[in-house]
Amino acid sequence: MENLIEYMPLLLSGALVTITLALFSLVLATVLGALGATGKLSGGIIAKSIVGVYTTLVRGVPDLVLILLIYFGGQRLLNIVGNWFDADYIELSKFWAGVGAIGFIYGAYLTETFRGAYMTIPPGQIDAAKALGMRPISVLRTVTIPQLISFALPGYANVWQVLIKSTAVVSIIGLEDLVGLANDAGKSVREPFIFFAFVFCMYLLFTFISQNIFMYAERKYALKGHDDAV
Amino acid sequence: MKKFVIAATVAATLVSAANAADINICVEGAYPPFSSTEPSGEVVGFDIDIANALCAEMGQSCELVKTDWDGIIPALLEGKCDAIIASMSITPDRMQIIDFSTKYYNSPAGFIGAEGMMESGLDGQRVGVQRGTIHHSFMEGVFPNVELVLYGSQDEIYLDLVAGRVDAIMADSIAMQEGFLDTDSGAGYAFFGESYSVPEYHGDGAGVGVRQGEEELRDAFSAAITAIRESGEYSMINAEYFDFDIFGG
Repeated sequence: MENLIEYMPLLLSGALVTITLALFSLVLATVLGALGATGKLSGGIIAKSIVGVYTTLVRGVPDLVLILLIYFGGQRLLNIVGNWFDADYIELSKFWAGVGAIGFIYGAYLTETFRGAYMTIPPGQIDAAKALGMRPISVLRTVTIPQLISFALPGYANVWQVLIKSTAVVSIIGLEDLVGLANDAGKSVREPFIFFAFVFCMYLLFTFISQNIFMYAERKYALKGHDDAV
Repeated sequence: MKKFVIAATVAATLVSAANAADINICVEGAYPPFSSTEPSGEVVGFDIDIANALCAEMGQSCELVKTDWDGIIPALLEGKCDAIIASMSITPDRMQIIDFSTKYYNSPAGFIGAEGMMESGLDGQRVGVQRGTIHHSFMEGVFPNVELVLYGSQDEIYLDLVAGRVDAIMADSIAMQEGFLDTDSGAGYAFFGESYSVPEYHGDGAGVGVRQGEEELRDAFSAAITAIRESGEYSMINAEYFDFDIFGG
């Protein structure tokens, strides 16, 4: 137990890396998901096929494999390209490789979340808005987006909960996140269980906090009843 | 202050380290006493001290890159480091993808018994070994005149040594030091005789891993290992961690 207290600052710095990694990954995943959903819903045949390959491929391959592929495979690609131009060794950062991999993976899940949410909006509403003479941008702003957020939030929260847990696999590339540091420290003082129990509690805390944030967001963006409609 | 330290750690993680050093060395950090992580995040241990001693001997500046064990060979192959010093055993499987210097240690096998025991007095004595291990074959091959007592696990042999059912134990030195001699029940017992590491029985030991085709670096490490053995630097590091010569015979 004294060991755990002694290692606390190190573990907390690892927790901070985990959270930063998860947040950056979520931003990337959201952007990719929005692009993917747009492509699937309104793109041409090429855009549809590219997104189709992306979601099928990513959702079918384990996280761990993709992370290793992006970090080590990406480094090999950088080395090969660097050799062509006689450039010095360019280091692929562990952190950004992790963000890239996790963002790329969860972008595929969010593509489906956003697409599903969009499809829940009755098409008649959009037709009606157009018939009222609203411009596409105001249709998007006042009809589509508010409902999209409301329909997508439960799925989005779900993806976030899975995403934050999957950051644990980045410790394989040696990124000093919560899990990686707890593993090293626990084995160094030969008390792995106490350290992993701490990791367990930290992840529970992360998911507990995010659950509350999303519950608040779901209430805030809940669709108002018909009485509120003007 | 603490906030500053944490912010600095995050910043250091975001921006990858510049490779200013001559040689980047992959080390681990979760395998005490060879390498372990301090509360400050620093990696310390026998491997680390040896890495620094080798670099000093070679006259090169080195940077230690902490790497997860599972990703350590890919990290070497993709150029994230130029050498691995992480208690990695030289095995035929690994030799197919990377190259090794000569060994820098071979966790040797040894005898323990009541303090004051001598190797010359072993004939006819009862020696406990774990069944089916390299130590079992070693004893049958090299010490045919002792009476072997076979056990299923190492812990049972310790219990019987204390109970007086065996006179000595032959096993891995590190396992016995950490698992028995350094514990309360190990009081009154000690290593005796030589440390054994016969490649035929005990394998080739742990070496410095380098990429294939980098013979120059490999040979520089091998030469530096010999040099620190001769200069006494090695024994000084050895003595900080172990009661026996870990280099092996």
